[in-house]
Amino acid sequence: MGNTKVHPDQKYINALLQNDTVILGEIYQKFAPKVIGYIKNNSGDESRAQDIIQETLITIYKQAKEKGLQLTCPFDAYFFLLCKRKWINELKKSTNKEVTINEGIVSIDDESARFAEETELFNAKNELFSEMFDQLGKACKELLKATFTIKSMEEVAQKLGQSYGYVRKKKSLCIGQLTQLVQNAPKFNQLKNLL
Amino acid sequence: MTPEEKYELFEKYCSQELSNDEKSALQKLIDADKAIDKELKLYQDLHTHLNANFTTEKQKKELENNLKEIGDTYFSKKSTKKASKIIKMPVWAYAAAASIAIVFGVYFLNQGSPVYNDYANIPELAIAERGTSAEEIKKAENAFNSKEYAEAEKYLSELISQDVNNTEYQFYYGITLLEQDKYDASTKVFQKIHQGNSIYKYKAIWFEALSHLKRKEYARCSKLLKTLPVDAEDYQIAQELLKKLD
Repeated sequence: MGNTKVHPDQKYINALLQNDTVILGEIYQKFAPKVIGYIKNNSGDESRAQDIIQETLITIYKQAKEKGLQLTCPFDAYFFLLCKRKWINELKKSTNKEVTINEGIVSIDDESARFAEETELFNAKNELFSEMFDQLGKACKELLKATFTIKSMEEVAQKLGQSYGYVRKKKSLCIGQLTQLVQNAPKFNQLKNLL
Repeated sequence: MTPEEKYELFEKYCSQELSNDEKSALQKLIDADKAIDKELKLYQDLHTHLNANFTTEKQKKELENNLKEIGDTYFSKKSTKKASKIIKMPVWAYAAAASIAIVFGVYFLNQGSPVYNDYANIPELAIAERGTSAEEIKKAENAFNSKEYAEAEKYLSELISQDVNNTEYQFYYGITLLEQDKYDASTKVFQKIHQGNSIYKYKAIWFEALSHLKRKEYARCSKLLKTLPVDAEDYQIAQELLKKLD
């Protein structure tokens, strides 16, 4: 996505980062109707649409925060594609029903599709990482939480009643353990093929 | 090199604390084994992930709450628009309705037009045996039943804040607003009740109609009355009122 110019719709990404109520409201006004229409046409209702929209926006926020997402395509098709795929996944999870695909609603260019794929990949990885983190032992979880929320290692050491050296070493071991867990997860290998 | 030592190097790499010696040691490791390179990339990825997750937890929560609120407003407005097809008129119609109301007003002056007080049979508020905050409920009841509506409004709004979905509180709250001529607020309350499915669903329409009667907006009043279904409690009296308005 290199040097292409950032699209003016980047303002919606920034609104998520800054929790800007006015522009976030605009997102609903402008982009929700299409999503609602699609979900209602495909065995859903408005309240499900509201959830899907919110979850999608949070995913975009996370990607923007962690990876500095810069849109070079319009928000419209990108957002719709993400909501649509999320909804199809939900349907697949809950039923075996055939899902009607109605691509005609927005014209989807390659750029938007590429952005949507990247966001989905980010989300899948994020979910896998969180899932594996949950499998760590209690001590590791607490230590990692402390070291990443309290920036000073000395403070963390004091709080946990351990020496500075121990906390430092333990932190690297815990992330190392997490690395192993992720590497051994079957899902990680599926994701790797997509990378 | 032990795994412990390897991960310590990884950690220093992520926090950019590698000494020159350590840098070359790490480089040697990577050159010797491609798998270590991949592992380092994943370690770094996880480092970024954990950092982002833990440091933005609060911000993310705030965003979630805000989105929930914006979403709620957006989606409830949408359904209001739909539900209000029966009650809402296009803007230009207000002017028309106002002029019709004037004509009616003039017409009724000679006839004795129906007035709010003839129709507003305000029910007694009796909720004391239910709920837990007995003190507040008693106060609300006393104020409401002795027609001290400003007082009652205060107590009822307190009760609603403790029990947001209680339509009984909402309904009586709507009446206290209406009695104080706070029409915008009462309309909001009655509309919300009407969208629900409580026993007050049509009572709310009846009182919303009466609020227009009170303002002598007869056209709007009769329009609302006509939306009452036959099985609504106030259907009969609504028909009587409609006859007088037509």
